[in-house]
Amino acid sequence: MRKIEKIRNFSIIAHIDHGKSTLADRLLEYTGAVEKRDVEEQMLDNMELERERGITIKARAVRFDYKADDGETYELNLIDTPGHVDFGYEVSRSLSACEGAVLIVDATQGIQAQTLANAYMAVDHDLEILPVINKIDLASADPEMAKREIEDVIGIPASDAPCISAKMGINIREVLERIVKDIPCPKGDPEAPLEALIFDCYYDSYKGVIVYIRIMNGRLRVGDKVKMMHTGAEFEVVETGTLSTFSLDKKEFLEAGEVGYFTASIKNIADTDVGDTVTHADAPCAKPLPGFKKSQPMVFAGIYPADGSKYGDLKDALDKLRLNDSSFTYEPESSVALGFGFRCGFLGLLHMEIIEERLEREFALDLITTAPSVIYEIHKTNGDTVYIDNPTNYPDPATIETACEPFVSASIITPSDYVGTIMQLCTDRRGEFIDMKYIDVNRAELHYLLPLNEIVYDFFDSLKSRSKGYASLDYEFKDYRPSKLSKLDILLNGEIVDALSFIVHSDRAYARARKICEKLKDNIPRQLFEIPVQAAIGGKIIARETVKAMRKDVLAKCYGGDITRKKKLLEKQKEGKKRMRTLGTVEVPQEAFMAVLKYDDE
Amino acid sequence: MTNKPLSLYFHFPFCVKKCAYCAFYSLQAQPEEIKNAYCGALEKQIGFLPREREIISVYFGGGTPSSLGAERLCKLIEKIKERCSLAPDCEITVEVNPGTAGESDFYALYAAGFNRISAGVQSANDETLAFLGRIHDFRQARECILAAKRAGFANIGADLIFALPGQSAEDFLHSIDSVCDLGVQHISAYSLQLEPGTPLYAKRGTLCFPDEEAEEAVYGALCARLKERGYEHYEISSFALPGFRARHNGVYWNRGEYLGIGAGAHSFYGGKRFSAPCDINAFIQKAGDSLFAPTDRETAPFITVAEAEEERVMLGLRTSDGAVVPPGARVKARRIAEAGFGVFDGERLVLNEKGFRVSNEIIAEVLI
Repeated sequence: MRKIEKIRNFSIIAHIDHGKSTLADRLLEYTGAVEKRDVEEQMLDNMELERERGITIKARAVRFDYKADDGETYELNLIDTPGHVDFGYEVSRSLSACEGAVLIVDATQGIQAQTLANAYMAVDHDLEILPVINKIDLASADPEMAKREIEDVIGIPASDAPCISAKMGINIREVLERIVKDIPCPKGDPEAPLEALIFDCYYDSYKGVIVYIRIMNGRLRVGDKVKMMHTGAEFEVVETGTLSTFSLDKKEFLEAGEVGYFTASIKNIADTDVGDTVTHADAPCAKPLPGFKKSQPMVFAGIYPADGSKYGDLKDALDKLRLNDSSFTYEPESSVALGFGFRCGFLGLLHMEIIEERLEREFALDLITTAPSVIYEIHKTNGDTVYIDNPTNYPDPATIETACEPFVSASIITPSDYVGTIMQLCTDRRGEFIDMKYIDVNRAELHYLLPLNEIVYDFFDSLKSRSKGYASLDYEFKDYRPSKLSKLDILLNGEIVDALSFIVHSDRAYARARKICEKLKDNIPRQLFEIPVQAAIGGKIIARETVKAMRKDVLAKCYGGDITRKKKLLEKQKEGKKRMRTLGTVEVPQEAFMAVLKYDDE
Repeated sequence: MTNKPLSLYFHFPFCVKKCAYCAFYSLQAQPEEIKNAYCGALEKQIGFLPREREIISVYFGGGTPSSLGAERLCKLIEKIKERCSLAPDCEITVEVNPGTAGESDFYALYAAGFNRISAGVQSANDETLAFLGRIHDFRQARECILAAKRAGFANIGADLIFALPGQSAEDFLHSIDSVCDLGVQHISAYSLQLEPGTPLYAKRGTLCFPDEEAEEAVYGALCARLKERGYEHYEISSFALPGFRARHNGVYWNRGEYLGIGAGAHSFYGGKRFSAPCDINAFIQKAGDSLFAPTDRETAPFITVAEAEEERVMLGLRTSDGAVVPPGARVKARRIAEAGFGVFDGERLVLNEKGFRVSNEIIAEVLI
């Protein structure tokens, strides 16, 4: 058997919580790639945050050997994929590096939105799909139902799908056997010009960027001069090798069919875009591998240090995070209300939350985040087209010919009981109904065209709360459509707070304005003075609430000369004041900025 | 500097029964031996008091000092007089709770040198008194004050509580009037503070407390009524007929020095604030070692200049004398005054009734 015939490159795809990371752990454990005692829960998810959320954020890959029933030892490369809708492009690049995919379906839940989205993507990449039914140890498991759904909905045979419990370690070998038997070996010619696909990378402070690649054709050696076909950057390879569980295994070269890494003293992660093609600088392949896309942030928000003097710390933290995540962008901006900060671009809301949390946790920063915004496409009367990612820059309505907003096509899978309330939600969010299919008697798949603007706030939370957590969502960018948009300004004590401005569909402006004023009223503590909270479009006030003046805040007595209580109280009060932002004469707590983001009634 | 005046506070952590709202250190139903041992310990401490400092006020507080009986209290004041040099006009106050002192007690206390009574009246409404867990009704409170007057006391203060569930402004004004009619010279009107660990706190969920607006109305009404009746509003919760301001409390607010003797008592002395732990047994054990043996004076930090400055503003703004604000806070102080919370002359901010009501916020604003 030629070497390449003993390689299997595969991904595991699944809906969130269907057991992807657990199965990955079991495979590694079973093949002895790790000792059981080393298995930190789900080791493919390296980041602490990922473990907490139980989701994989960045792809990782690992190589391990498996001695199959046919007596041969196979080289298996498991390429992990991010499991969330924000990271669709990263998933597609990981899948491009594989010949097959293990599709996990939870025997208690059946097919969910991301099961479908991922399965379709795997089909699009011509991958051999190996369905696996997981969680058969649970009392409510119905493996036959799950198999039937796979056949009916995805349309691939599933009658002999392995039924396993990744958690209990049941039937793991069967999965490994099927990977070896059913998933084809890579094709490719080691003698052809080098073609390698970048599917992930991260920054190491000693070696520079570590680039994860799949060699499609040719051979990559230490010392080779390589070129990134899209960015055009050229480097000399310092190190190559394969990826074991906890370390990098140096090798002299990598060749067609193999998955591994290389380093080349690359300082800037922006030079190594996921999806780019690596080839030899002096003997390049004819054309880059298909499917490359520059990853485009979809959601933008201002991030400011709660304490204005921490601007430098925030900048350092963003610089460091960016080293490992080229998909988010940031540039300095300033706000009258919040001082100096950054306008950051994210792939989606989850991505934004992750970055925020990492900033707060890993860098101990207190942040104020403004309402997320999408990019609006504005055609002006003078023929210019501008893209607006910050409501503050929204042009004067008189100069706007047409304003367009991004739409996504969304797929929602939900138990039938909640179809009504979810359709209501989509309608409330200006969704355009496309179609609905019943996956089985109990579950339906809804398709909607939705403005991204309506999704970025709390759509996912609302969806979950309306469906008691059962509904799942997947979406992808569709196109820009003309829309009636208005910029809504919020005034505190008569002054516009730029950081609270946002863009809203005109039909919803009044309702939204009222709700936001109410939220602010509830979240701004009473102060010495009465504070009018107003919302305005242009110069016109369309909603008003009042934070009443504080009536009572007094400590009655200093008993027996004990003024320490009063002193402690004063310290607490001063601390509280420091945590608030003073906008003009009004003190606004961070929570008020956050509260504005949530507006579902439920 | 040693001739700076000094004040003395004696703490008596004993009560017949703990009130429903009280979170302070006090024990109920203690045996006589403990009370004797405690007073013995206080005597030992008195023996350590500085002889040369002029004492301008002495305050027996609690707890319920009167629950120990006049005899014990009189003996202590004798000891203090023997040891210290009391100013000729030294104010000597004892807290008395109705139901714990009879007419003969007042005669004895007056004869021993006490010249001011602070009576825990709290309310003229018997239902309210029961709700608060007081052991007396208003008739007993009236008797108590009249008895004190008959015994010779001409400086009597009464404590009252407002902001109680279901209490209207009329209710509280009735209490004010009833107490003023008894001829007291001083009124302390405290709004109820819910303290964790008290029975009232435990059942707070079942009670309907007045909101900020309602409490504001009561406070406004009581300030107006007391002003009408000739009382000066000289501190957030304190009102006095001319010449009858509580001197001892004035020492606290003006950052004068005071020594607190007894378990749980607080001192401000020699540049430090310190206190004795709330533990009568520990106090009894250590009282004979030295004046500071029962306290944490050793480890307490010295008050820094900045801290002293904060205290001065924080305490001053509680009084009708106000406080000179830090130069950096003058703009804020002016804004506060212009909004009707007080008067600002460019240096000193004096809060009015409206300002007192939100004084925590104003103090924090001025000091941040």
